[in-house]
This record gives sequence, structure tokens and C-alpha cells, in this order.
Amino acid sequence: MIRPALTLARRELVRFFRQPHRVVGSLAQPLLIWAFLGAGFSPSFRAPGLANVSYAEYFYPGMLLMLMLFAGIFSTITLIEDRAQGLMQGVLASPAPRMAIVLGKVAGGMAIAMLQAAPLLLAAPFLAIPLTFSGLIWILIGFAIACLGFTALGFLIAWNMESTAGFHAIMSVFLMPLWMLSGALFPMDHAPGWLWALMTVNPVTHALTLIRTPLYHPASEFLATTAYWNALLIAATWAGLCLWLALWRVNRVEQGKTMP
Amino acid sequence: MTADPQIPAVAIHRLGHCYPGGRKQPPRVALNGIDLLIPQGAFFVLTGPNGSGKSTLFRILCGLARPSTGTIHLHGHDLIATPNAARASMGVVFQKPALDKHLTVMENFRIHADLHAIPGHLFAQRVRDALPWSDLGERLGERVETLSGGLARQAELVKVLLHEPRLLLLDEPTVGLDPGGRLAFMATLQRLQKKRGVTILMTSHIFAEAEKADLVAILRQGQLLAADSPARLSARLGQELLVIQGEDLQTMAKALTDLPGLAVQLQNHELRVRGENLLQIMATLLKDHRERIHTLAIKQPSLEDLYIHLTGRALTLDEEECR
Repeated sequence: MIRPALTLARRELVRFFRQPHRVVGSLAQPLLIWAFLGAGFSPSFRAPGLANVSYAEYFYPGMLLMLMLFAGIFSTITLIEDRAQGLMQGVLASPAPRMAIVLGKVAGGMAIAMLQAAPLLLAAPFLAIPLTFSGLIWILIGFAIACLGFTALGFLIAWNMESTAGFHAIMSVFLMPLWMLSGALFPMDHAPGWLWALMTVNPVTHALTLIRTPLYHPASEFLATTAYWNALLIAATWAGLCLWLALWRVNRVEQGKTMP
Repeated sequence: MTADPQIPAVAIHRLGHCYPGGRKQPPRVALNGIDLLIPQGAFFVLTGPNGSGKSTLFRILCGLARPSTGTIHLHGHDLIATPNAARASMGVVFQKPALDKHLTVMENFRIHADLHAIPGHLFAQRVRDALPWSDLGERLGERVETLSGGLARQAELVKVLLHEPRLLLLDEPTVGLDPGGRLAFMATLQRLQKKRGVTILMTSHIFAEAEKADLVAILRQGQLLAADSPARLSARLGQELLVIQGEDLQTMAKALTDLPGLAVQLQNHELRVRGENLLQIMATLLKDHRERIHTLAIKQPSLEDLYIHLTGRALTLDEEECR
């Protein structure tokens, strides 16, 4: 199980770095959106209770979360073609357990996301964010959970797709809104009731909490709050559930219907 | 190999498969009551029109789908109950390349070795062994996307042989190759069969390929019409065949069906006549219908003729188009 999963994870990494447009695309888009929205909104962004926070700073953890989302999407969208006309055919016909496909994808996607997001954490001091070492560790845990959730969710969607066009549709009407309604773009406290409700049930909101909180507070402080543990529990359950569903789905072999 | 050579490489018993269908599509039976035995070391070619069930049978053999009914044993291992044991001795070449084109040939091989748990020293040895018979020699470090179609196929073949399968499944492996590449690929397969005793099961639309096989099976609408050696299959048609191409074949067909002891078939703009005294019939046709006839020939029945006789269609046409 481990050897097949590792080899598939390594393949993800090698492929990623061998396609420069992918490196640029998945890194540049969040950065550009961050730069443009940050510059455009910062002068007029005055969220109640966040008087000292510029929009660029507010959006920073959201941008990191977007990186996780893109890493998940880009690594799973390739599955669709790969399964019909690519390496994955050989994997499916090999004696390697099918679970290795999910684990390889998830591990590869996580590694790619971490490698992109980690350097961006260097921006924190320039935004005057008081990031501590213990905070950094907990942010990385938040990254891992978010990335696991997005990659497993992307896997689940891609595995049931016949064409990449279908995946793009789901991406714009489902995956992007999950991110938009996570508090990445605007604080949820003063959102209209219906929006607030949507954002509260959105597990990605809680994944964002796992990234935002450790930026501002030392671990000893937020680990003593139930709010943080609630977020951790919900986000981890979401990620775990997606992973479990992906494993279950990939293990299901198409079964012929009873003969008439 | 210590296994009993008497055990068939592939034993299929009463295999049936039905696709569930969708909202607008009714369920569709793709395979129905297939019985097939392929002895170890045989070169077996499966042929049939598009939509005949070849791909479904192939998918089931690869373990990508579970059949509705029936059993499959590969070297005595139940493919459905213990798929991993059955798969360990099987190598699959898909119609669409199963190589990652962004990776080098060697990187693709290494992934295969990891999936099949091949120890490192054996892996290196087997890659070295494959170099003399393939043309990959200098290209192992190059990305697959830079290889020609024929070379990529060779890479694929070397890859699936790395775990030394006893049974090789190939789904129309020569599609997209030029005639030279196709011949070379077939020669390699035959060499593998002879030297290593590998059982080969391949699907093909090309009769020149099927003629080289030990066994040929013809599938149509989910049923096996015939399975035998090419020579015996061709002999089934027995007599020589008169083939006529031209205009207004219907009139000629009508005139011929009135004669006793003739089997007349009109399809795909060709009139095929089997029976006695074909020379005399040729003379009659030339006398009465000279202006309608473009070509007129007597030929020995080939596998293709049997195929057309059995399936009632030429290969280039889809099932749907002929209805």
C-alpha cells in the first residue's frame, strides 16, 4: 500500500514542477487576486471591530486557503483524462490496492500546496502579523486539514466525471463558492442572516479559522478556547469524511446489472 | 513456473454483462453466455464489429468491471473472488497509452515497478534485458511525449513485461501505428509468445494480424460466433467464393438466387456467391450483365470472408449503421 501510494505522490510532484505554467498558474492567481483586491479594497475596507486591519491583511489567510483549494483542484482534475487514457489505467489493472490512488493524490496534493504556501508565510511579518513559532506549527496543521479536505473532495468529484468541462462547471458553482463563503473575502459577523447561516454550516469557514487564528494568537491562548476546538473538530470531520468517501468510491468497481 | 501447464490461461464460463442504462437509456446486454478456454502459451485474437462486446470483455478481464453472471479463471485463480492473485500474473496494454507523457520512459517504468512491488535489483536487470529487443536503448531518459507512436508502444510493452506476466492482454494495440510499426510490434509479440511462453490475448480489427494467431474468436452482439484456429475457421466456408462488384447488383442477385445450389449474399456493394460451378456462373453473368459488372473474381475464403459471412457486415461499419 505504502510503496504504490508514495510513487503516485512523487509523480504528482514531478509533474507539477515539470509544467511551469502550472506552478505559475496556481501560485500567481491567488497572489494577483490578493494584490488587486488588497490594493483596491484597503482604502475603503472598514469592518466593525477590525479597525486596524487593512484589507490586504484581512484577505491574507483567505489567499492562503485559496492556494489550498487550487492545489486540490489542479491535482485532481487530471484524474479525469488520466483514468480514460493515461497512467491511471495501468494502476487500476495492477495488483496495487485502489486506495493507493487516493492516498497518492492526497499526499501529492498536500505536498504541492505546502511547498507553495510555506514561502508565502514569510509575508506575515511585513503585514505586521505577530506570528509565533507555535502559531506556525498550528497553521501548518490547518493547511494540512484544508488541503486534505479540498483534495479528497476534488477526487470525489473528478472520479465521477466523464469530462474536464463538467469539472470546471462544478468548480465554479460549488468549489469556488465554498471558498467565497468561508470568510476569506469578507467577515461573516455582519453578513445578512441567510448568508451568515450558510457560512456557519460551510466547513471551509472552520478550516479558515484554523489558519487565521494562529496568525494573531499564541497557541497557549487559542488552544484554551472552545471556538478553536470546535473549528478544528468540524474542519477535521469534513476532511476525514471526504477522504473516507473518496476511498469508498475508488474501491467500488462497476458491477454489471442482473441479466434480464 | 511450477504451475500445471494443463490449467488454461483463461477460462471463461457462461459470462454475461448488462449495463444498467440511464434515465433515457434502457439497460443493455453487452455480453451473453460467453464460454471460452484459452490454453497457456496460445496467441489468441478476439475480433468483432464495434459494439460487439469486445471492450466490455476486455474491461472485465482487466478487473475494471465485474460481470453480471458467470466466472473467469486466470491460471486457475478466480478473477472475481481473488482479483489480486489473478492480476499479479497479468499484463495489460490499453488502446490509449497508459504512460505519463510528462515523465521519462524510465520514470514510468519505475512507477510500474512500485505498483507491482518489483525489487530494485530485479527491476534494473529486467530493464537491461528489454533493451536488446526494443529500440528504446538511448531514450530511457527522455520524456514519453518526445517518442514516436511506435516507440511509445514499445515502451508500453516493455513496461507491462517488467513484472513478467504469464498472460498479456492487449486492446487493439496496433491502432495508430504505421504498417512498419505494426509489423514490428506483431513480430515482437510473436517472439514473446515463442520464447517466454507468454499467453497473448489481443483484440484486433486487422485480419492480417488475426491470421497469425493460434486461435481467433469472433464476437457479435455479445455472443461468441466462432472460436477456432484461423485455418479451420476459413475452411468453414469451404468452397471458393465469387465476388462481384458493380451496378444494379440487386438484379443480378435476383437472377442468381433463382439458380439451384447457390448461396447469394448482397452487402456493402458487393455480391458474394458460394456454390458449385462458379466458372460457369461467371460466364453466364458476363454474358447477361456485362455492362453492370465492374470487377469479378473467384477467391479462396479468408478469415475476413468468414467474418463477413458470420457477422453479416464489413468491418468498417458500426453495428448501428447496419441496422
